[in-house]
Amino acid sequence: MFKVTFASLLIETLQSLFQQGVRVKEVVKYLDHLAFKSLNIIVVCVSFAAAVTILEASFHMKLVLHDDSLVPGFASMLIVRELAVVVMSLLLAAKIGAGIAAEVGQMKISEQIDALKLLGINPFNYLVLPRLVACLIAGVLLSLIANAVCLLTAALVTTWSLDQSMAFFMTAFRRFVLMKDLGFSLIKGALFCGIIPLVSCYYGMTCEPGAGGVGRATTKSVVSSSICIIVLDFILTLVFSSFY
Amino acid sequence: MIAFKKVTKSFGARTILNELDLEIPQGKIVFILGMSGTGKSVLLKNIVGLLKPDSGELYVDRFPVHQMSEHEMMDVRKICGMVFQQPALFDNLNVFENVAYGLRRHFELSEEEVSRRVEESLGHVGLKGIEAKQSHELSYGMKKRVSLARTIALKPKILLFDEPTTGLDPISTSRVNQLILDLSNQLGTTSLVVSHDMESALKVADHIVVLDKGHLLTQGTPAEMQESTIPLIQDFLAEVGAP
Repeated sequence: MFKVTFASLLIETLQSLFQQGVRVKEVVKYLDHLAFKSLNIIVVCVSFAAAVTILEASFHMKLVLHDDSLVPGFASMLIVRELAVVVMSLLLAAKIGAGIAAEVGQMKISEQIDALKLLGINPFNYLVLPRLVACLIAGVLLSLIANAVCLLTAALVTTWSLDQSMAFFMTAFRRFVLMKDLGFSLIKGALFCGIIPLVSCYYGMTCEPGAGGVGRATTKSVVSSSICIIVLDFILTLVFSSFY
Repeated sequence: MIAFKKVTKSFGARTILNELDLEIPQGKIVFILGMSGTGKSVLLKNIVGLLKPDSGELYVDRFPVHQMSEHEMMDVRKICGMVFQQPALFDNLNVFENVAYGLRRHFELSEEEVSRRVEESLGHVGLKGIEAKQSHELSYGMKKRVSLARTIALKPKILLFDEPTTGLDPISTSRVNQLILDLSNQLGTTSLVVSHDMESALKVADHIVVLDKGHLLTQGTPAEMQESTIPLIQDFLAEVGAP
């Protein structure tokens, strides 16, 4: 009846949480379907990102300072504060964002969303809320996993390439990385992943008819989710920096 | 009764319904005919609040739909069932669950009663025994009939059909036409059928309404339509070989 805007989607979804609650079974289904089936891609990509970070940092520090002993500490800090969570979120935006936009867009153009309304089902509660809750939970869990994998890879590359021991890496890690770094990383993970279903469902629900419409909705959702993640990262980094 | 009073609906610069005045009597089968793009589907979607009139008044039963919120529309949607142009089955549910969804949502029925109503509705559309199939296993025509079963399972007072026989074989088309007649005769359901199918309209309708460019062009009984000298009606009649 009313034109869906991003603001109305957000408000209606949150309202439906308090009025109708969330279907836990659906959240569990999406947690598996959207998040954990992306685990292999995340593990592979963040591992290589961590390896490149160590190698590049070492190369430049040696070039400028003729000493790369600070690489493990700085790299650990960069991994926990930024790298793991941003790479993980951008990968999810591409993988699940496209899937959500295509699925919801197809439902829109095949009149399934109208059919939901006529059966008395709130489409925001049915389509958006379970995906949003699943992605918020997945954001926290996948951030933990991405950080762990990144740090493990960084430690292995440090011992292999920088000729420093695992104990040296752990000492540097403990000196440079604070507990609140990890806390902020988990908050970022949840918020970045929470953006993805909201943006993707918005483009799905406003999808134009035809295969071209679904294609455009999918592309827009991936591009917009990625931009939102990067901009939100900047804002959160500014906010969190005031806590140090 | 459904009443449109000077209802206008536009999309951008394009006016689809232009100050439309129309009354649909209760308990009758009314076919809405017209060329593509004349606002037939838009008319149905306004009735159930999937679209909102830009101006004018629209009454469904006793409800002033034109001034109701999305939340208030639930009361109207409980008495209206709509069969969409697309089958609009939920992909993640099988046939039984698709038909049972609205029953469980709107009524407090035992599972035995839900099963009985699902079986009965599928029987009406000639699809008994396919309850366990997924929607992707069905042909387009079967999906369309399951969609019809899902709607009639709720036994609404007003049934809205958006091209219910498009894409169906002749036997299924006859079955759907007969079903519209039976529902009207047995339950007193008001049926509003958007269609290009003049043959079905002449066989089934109590009343035929013809729209042209968002306006009411003419209306009358099937017999009156057959006597019409309006070129558009004659074109429709010529397509089905009617005199």
